[in-house]
Amino acid sequence: MLMAETDTLLDLLRRRGVSRRGFLKFCAATASMLALPPSMAPAIAEALGKARRPSVIWLSFQECTGCTESLTRSHSPTLENLIFSAISLDYHETLQAAAGTAAEAAREEAMKNNRGKYLVIVDGSVPMGDGGVYSTVAGKSNIEILKETAAGAAAIVCVGTCSSYGGIPYAQPNPTGAVPVSEIITDKPIVKVPGCPPIPVVITGVLAHYLTFKSLPDLDELGRPLAFFGETIHDRCYRRPFYDQGKFAKSFDDEGARNGWCLFELGCKGPTTHNACATTKWNQGTSFPVESGHGCLGCSEPNFWDAGSFYKAVSVPTEPTRIVAGVAAAAGVAAGAAMAVHNRRKKAVAAAGHQKASVEDLEKKS
Amino acid sequence: MWSANCWRGGPVSELDRIGVAVVDGTEDGRSGHVAALLREIESLLRSLVERDEGGSIDLRSLPLTENDLVQLEEALGEGEVAAQVDSLGFSRVWETAVSGVWWVSHENEEGEVIGEFIEVTYCPEILITPTEDVKESWQALRARLLESEYGKTMGDAHGGD
Repeated sequence: MLMAETDTLLDLLRRRGVSRRGFLKFCAATASMLALPPSMAPAIAEALGKARRPSVIWLSFQECTGCTESLTRSHSPTLENLIFSAISLDYHETLQAAAGTAAEAAREEAMKNNRGKYLVIVDGSVPMGDGGVYSTVAGKSNIEILKETAAGAAAIVCVGTCSSYGGIPYAQPNPTGAVPVSEIITDKPIVKVPGCPPIPVVITGVLAHYLTFKSLPDLDELGRPLAFFGETIHDRCYRRPFYDQGKFAKSFDDEGARNGWCLFELGCKGPTTHNACATTKWNQGTSFPVESGHGCLGCSEPNFWDAGSFYKAVSVPTEPTRIVAGVAAAAGVAAGAAMAVHNRRKKAVAAAGHQKASVEDLEKKS
Repeated sequence: MWSANCWRGGPVSELDRIGVAVVDGTEDGRSGHVAALLREIESLLRSLVERDEGGSIDLRSLPLTENDLVQLEEALGEGEVAAQVDSLGFSRVWETAVSGVWWVSHENEEGEVIGEFIEVTYCPEILITPTEDVKESWQALRARLLESEYGKTMGDAHGGD
């Protein structure tokens, strides 16, 4: 990544052989991705074209590297990696060539040279138990590194459910005392891009927004960008009409499943899960879990791991589905929202009980 | 001329190999959004005629089914202009049978559709040569000619520089 500090995104892309038409197309797709009106594309082109590459420090704490995999395994060249290459990634333990003292020196230099201007991306939760001893880098605990790095940051982007809400390390009984970043850093703007892993284009969408508007996108009450988390999986699910008609798969191999009916009764968390999977999809737009015949796990919601069995707790109501769903079908979206509230309440109850899935749940042979 | 329909599909068609029937839940696979879209297009056309201001509609921002898109294509028809831009993957652009209403579909190099728009305009922006490109190409061609044997006469005729 040897590029002049003064390089703009357009300079960079031009050197890579991207034409101005290609750039305009890239901006049209970016506007679409950010849920902005298409008329914004020229303004985005103007702003993005002049954008300087921001310094980014990526901190990995208690995590599985799935978030980095999600972003870097996209086939080249995609919108994601065009934007990703537009940043100056000055520190990333998995991706950087430097190791040991040299790696830490790179982080310190980036912090010093770009104080108040750099972005910090965090994946993984922060273990607070026993003085933070459960996860350390270069002899420093994650808490120390986070506090030290966040102090000079312009903003923090939490990538993945672990850094956003604690994720799997935070699940009961949380042996390491894991917490999300927002419980430690309270004086910096924080954007949360949850998902296990998050959709790559959502990660880069936040970066594109920052590069274009020099500000962070509008967020929902859980700190997630509204452009991507404004609707539930259920809102945009292609199986939604079956839900409205009360047609549900009762097991993974019944007639309903073969007909592609709604997976609500099989535990789909689509109605309570805000994410963009149903529209952006996965694997170069191939599909998303519901399209492959499995319900949504709700991985972009807080405490998804403790919200009861993936196969029953939230989504198999104690009342017969046809009654609740029948009301939803009759009264439309408002009742759908009522169902979501109903399920959210059930989720809280299930979370308290920490229900586990059994083989019977999976096979639905009760 | 290629048909608009044959472009659609891409990686999604791989789902056919999986033994799950993906059936659309609506009776005819249509959500009913196309009628509203056509009204919006009519309103944009009117604006283009009366105020010289068109506009675009981001088709991917709407919950359209595959059949909706087919219905929209059928409603708009195919006009007499079709073009393809080869930059960061193909962009297919064609004028519909409703003059001034263009269908613009951007793909990445994997063939995945990354943007799909209805543009109501005299000519979509993506087809117009950027001013900077014209300046650069003029300078490049001029430099090439000046280096060649034609350069002398060119320099004489225009005073050279």
